[in-house]
Amino acid sequence: MIVEVVVGILLGLGGLACITGAVGLLRFPDVYSRMHASGVTDTLGAGLVVLGLLVWAALGDGGWATALAEGHAEAAKPGLLQSVKLVSILFFLWVSGTTAVHALAKAAWLDGLVPWTRDEEGASSTR
Amino acid sequence: MSVFAVAMVAVMVTMALALVRALRGPTIFDRILAVNSFGTATVLFISVHGYLAGRPDFLDLALVYALMNFIGTLAVLKYLHAPGLGAADLAPPGEEGP
Amino acid sequence: MDPGRGGCVIDALIDVFLLGLLVIVAVAVGQSRNLLVAVMLTGIYSLLSASWMLVLDAPDVAYTEAAVGAGVSTVLMLGTLALTTREEKPGPALEPVPLVVALITGLVLLYGTLDMPAFGDPASPVHQHVAPHYLQRSGEEMGIQNIITSVLASYRGYDTLGETSVVLTAAVGVFALLGGRRRRGAPVPEAEAP
Repeated sequence: MIVEVVVGILLGLGGLACITGAVGLLRFPDVYSRMHASGVTDTLGAGLVVLGLLVWAALGDGGWATALAEGHAEAAKPGLLQSVKLVSILFFLWVSGTTAVHALAKAAWLDGLVPWTRDEEGASSTR
Repeated sequence: MSVFAVAMVAVMVTMALALVRALRGPTIFDRILAVNSFGTATVLFISVHGYLAGRPDFLDLALVYALMNFIGTLAVLKYLHAPGLGAADLAPPGEEGP
Repeated sequence: MDPGRGGCVIDALIDVFLLGLLVIVAVAVGQSRNLLVAVMLTGIYSLLSASWMLVLDAPDVAYTEAAVGAGVSTVLMLGTLALTTREEKPGPALEPVPLVVALITGLVLLYGTLDMPAFGDPASPVHQHVAPHYLQRSGEEMGIQNIITSVLASYRGYDTLGETSVVLTAAVGVFALLGGRRRRGAPVPEAEAP
C-alpha cells in the first residue's frame, strides 16, 4: 500500500512537471525562453516519472527487491533487468536532451535570433 | 493501475501541447524544440505504457527512441548550420552565419 | 494495484488520442508549404506510428518504425532537401485525378476492413490454420531447431530478403547523399584564440 502511494506521488509530480514544461513551451515569448521550459520536461519530468517506475519495479508486484528479500534469486532477474533499462533510459534522456537543446540554442544564435526583451516586442526573424 | 493511467494522461497532454507548438511556432527552431520535447514525451509514454499494460519488456523501444530523437534533432541542426556547430567561439548574432 | 489491463477507459483514450494526433499531423504535413517543416512533422508522424504499433502489441514493427522513420528517413529527406529548395513551388489549388484515386483507394480499403476478424480473435483463420501448421510441421519440413528462425528465414524468406534490401538501400542512400556533400562543403572553421 505504501509502495503504491509513493509511486503515485512520484508519477503524479513527474506528470505535473511534464505538463508545466509543455505549458511553458506554449506560453513563453521566444525560442530561448521556451528552451528553458522544455528543459523542465526533459530533466525533472522524465526524472520523476522514471524514478516512480524504478520504485515500482523494485518494490511493487513482482519487484526484484521483494523477491531478493524472500530469497528467490531467479524471480528477481526480470525486475532487475527492467531497472537497469530504466536507469539507462534516464541517463540517455538527460545527456541527449540537454545536449540537443544546447546545440539548438547555438544554431539559433548563429542564425541571428535575438532574445526577447520586454521593451521591444520580440525581434525574432521569421522563417 | 490507476496511477499509471494518470501518468499516461499527463504525458499525453504534454505530447498534445508540444504538437501545438510544433504546428504554430513561427521560427524553425520552435518546431525543432517542440519535436525534441515530443520525442522525450514519447519515450515516457512508451515506458509508462509498458507498466500500464503489464508488459514492461518493451523498455528497449524507449531506449531506441531516446537515441533516435537525439540523432534526428542533431541531423536537422547539421542541415541548417553544417560548419558552424563545431566552432568554439561565438560572434554576436548577425556577424557570423551559414 | 493490479498491473494488468484493467480499465477500458484509459485504453480507449490512448487509442483515440494516438489516432487523432496521426490525422492532425498528416493534415498538417499536407498543408505546409515549407518542406523543412514537413520533414519535421513527418518525424512526429513516425513517432506516433511507432507508439501506436507498440500499443497494438507489435514491438518488432515499432522498432523498425522508430529506427527507419524517425532516424534514417529524416536524414534522407534532409539530404534531399539540401539539393533542392526549401519552399514548395506553388501548384494548382485542386488536382482532381489524384484526389479521386486516393478517395477510391481509401474507400476500397475501408470496405476491405469490414471483413477482417476481431483483434486477437482465436477463431480467425491465421490462428486456426497457419500458426498450427508452422508449430507442428516446422521441424520436419525445414529441420531448423527454432521455429521463429524457420518462419523468418524459410517460410517467409522472400519477406526477409525484401527487408534487408530496403535497409541496405537506405544505408547506401545515406552514405551517397551525406558523404558527397561533406567533400564539397566548406571546411569547419578553426577556434580562434581570444
